[in-house]
Amino acid sequence: MTHDPTFWLLARASGLTAYVLITASVLAGLVVKSRPFGRAVKAADSVDAHRTLALLGLGMLALHGVALTLDSTLHMPTAGLAVPGLSPYRPASVALGVVACELAALLVVSFPLRRRIGMRAWRRIHWASYLIFAMATAHGIAAGTDSTQPWARGLYLGAVGAVAFATAWRALIRPTHTPAPERST
Amino acid sequence: MYKIVIDRSLCSGFGSCAELAPEIFEVDAGGLASLRVGTTGDPAVLEAASACPMAAITVVEEEAA
Repeated sequence: MTHDPTFWLLARASGLTAYVLITASVLAGLVVKSRPFGRAVKAADSVDAHRTLALLGLGMLALHGVALTLDSTLHMPTAGLAVPGLSPYRPASVALGVVACELAALLVVSFPLRRRIGMRAWRRIHWASYLIFAMATAHGIAAGTDSTQPWARGLYLGAVGAVAFATAWRALIRPTHTPAPERST
Repeated sequence: MYKIVIDRSLCSGFGSCAELAPEIFEVDAGGLASLRVGTTGDPAVLEAASACPMAAITVVEEEAA
């Protein structure tokens, strides 16, 4: 009986896609306040992009988890998707991904609860985004079976570089007032 | 002149408005934006409205009396 690679391929593809979506969500979140595009992009549109990318990323993570449990390559137990350390394959590296996913879900859930949590506390909680991104990167590199491929290295390097650059921009360059457009009336 | 309205049910206290137009907006003790003035002629208010992450600021241009 031959091994059906469908779920194995799906697990790898969805994991990498989730990483790209989460990276893009982090970048969109950084754009919200740093506003590098000035008035050309409304901050509210950046928030919409940030939230949509985060939700798509979580959806892709769900697919990643389901595909891993259905695949027969790694023998991932269903409980291993929620409990760090239960994976028979690289348990520590997989645990990073599990915790990062749970933290990401908490951040998404915190948005509609921000008034109850308190605005300042909610924004402080959002600093966990950096931890999630770092854990997701470490998980991808250490647990991903494509990590030795040049394209995968380029992906991780590009993602870390982009987030580092956007963070530096956010920290060092304050959004400035741009002159209002000339009006004819 | 610009008339300004803040929808405080949308405001999430990012403070972008107060950073860009501190003469017009402030963040109150509850962490939400509030107005220092009801109307202004300062076009910085347009920038502040565009910068609001929650689109909570509405600016209406009024004819000067």
